[in-house]
Amino acid sequence: MGATRSFGQFYPVSSPLHALDPRAKILATALLLLGLFFVGSAAGLGLVAAAVAVLVAVSRVPPLTFLRLLRPVVFIVALTVLFQVLFSREGETLFAWGILEIHDGGVRLGLFLGLRILLLVSVAALLTATTAPLALADGLEDLLSPLKKVRFPSHEVAMMMTIALRFIPTLHEESQKITKAQAARGADFSEGGPLSRIRATIPILIPLTVGAFRRADELAEAMESRGYRGGEGRTRYREPRFRRRDAVFLIATVLVLAGAALL
Amino acid sequence: MRLELRDIRHVYSPGTPFEVKALRGVSLTVEPDEVLGILGGTGSGKSTLVQHMNLLLEPADGTVLVDGVDAARLKKSELRRRVGLVFQFPEAALFAPTVWEDVAFAPRRLGLEESEIGDRVRESLALVDAEDLKDRSPFGLSGGEQRRAAIAGVLAMRPEVLVLDEPTSGLDPASRQKLLRLIQTLRDTGTSVVLVSHDTDEMAEVADRICILEKGEIRAIGPPADVFYANPDFAPATVSTVAALGDDGHGIGRPVRFGETLRALAGLIEG
Repeated sequence: MGATRSFGQFYPVSSPLHALDPRAKILATALLLLGLFFVGSAAGLGLVAAAVAVLVAVSRVPPLTFLRLLRPVVFIVALTVLFQVLFSREGETLFAWGILEIHDGGVRLGLFLGLRILLLVSVAALLTATTAPLALADGLEDLLSPLKKVRFPSHEVAMMMTIALRFIPTLHEESQKITKAQAARGADFSEGGPLSRIRATIPILIPLTVGAFRRADELAEAMESRGYRGGEGRTRYREPRFRRRDAVFLIATVLVLAGAALL
Repeated sequence: MRLELRDIRHVYSPGTPFEVKALRGVSLTVEPDEVLGILGGTGSGKSTLVQHMNLLLEPADGTVLVDGVDAARLKKSELRRRVGLVFQFPEAALFAPTVWEDVAFAPRRLGLEESEIGDRVRESLALVDAEDLKDRSPFGLSGGEQRRAAIAGVLAMRPEVLVLDEPTSGLDPASRQKLLRLIQTLRDTGTSVVLVSHDTDEMAEVADRICILEKGEIRAIGPPADVFYANPDFAPATVSTVAALGDDGHGIGRPVRFGETLRALAGLIEG
């Protein structure tokens, strides 16, 4: 049980990438996500792709497992490529049949956009696969803490994120239990058109939501009874340390991006 | 109805480091009109086993037979109607605006006439003594009331075998007693019951046969007296008390139920 891997899941092994300061990883990820939009050439994308491949290798996440993490976006990527290929009228005509025309500009653009989406998702998946949810939330809190001056509740936001991440597997398990219980009462989630399939999820969604609220209530009570009062003066068990290797990692990220944007 | 499990094996997450062999070849039969009690520690495979009885989980190996017919060949909807499964904490799956609507869910799925649905809902609510709750929201009920409403939701299918996974956990003593009486009523009116529980005392009161599961295998199965007197670590208080008197021929036999045991002990004192 619990062996299903999905996007956003932490992969607990030890690797140089796992050991980096979460703040450095969050910053690098943010830079890559933004920077990818400034990369305009196939060669540039290729460079970023190579860098991501190296990072996956360094992360010790088995490549096949990593690819499986990307599965949820395959559909979007395929749709993007298909759209460009079918509806773009740029460049030379490669193929024409009735109203169907395929141009080489469209193919190129389709592949380019598809690869860009894949890279965006890969970068995000790398961050979550190599950073424990708690570390991720702590890192985010630190990075957002300058905003406290403008009364941005960075600790609260980070705490909410931690809790949300922590409860994904719990709710997943709960939803499976409820699904089985309703299946035992004759519910069928695979028959009928789209509308009746959506209707079939109501007997799952309602108890799941009710359960989530009950859990939230219990959790809030448990936190309060243990003296939780929010971020002020709160210390941590693990303080992240920004070391030289974190700086090297960030500089390397910037250099790769700059190179890719210039190519 | 006769429900037979033959050499059922189940493996969670096969081929991964998380692999767990939950059932290692379990064979047993639920005879018509009996209460079969399944005992076992946590992780012994009880819950995995009962989910095979209506094929919510499919065995890695082995077959389930319904009156001699391979259950895998039956329509899922028919199998789930004939073998009603009440999960642990079934109240977590209540969803409808009223108890009446929630209990009507299963008969609706069976495609019954509205009048027949009404009959079944009334009948099921009466069985669990919850007619007065029919117009209430399930979310405003007490824990015990919710449990009864949820069980009624499965009874409304009129199952031939009712499987109850830890139905009394978290209930107050009065609700427990009511539920145990319901199990006896069902048995007496022709429904077989499979009762999964940790509580050997309540098991001793209602079960006609006992099966002890350990690490995915059957450790013992048979009449309560045989099983309890041979497995003292699973014995109810009655059996432990009698066993403590020594089996050196006080001549009080092997009582299991509370009433029997009291009579036997009274006889011993008088004699």
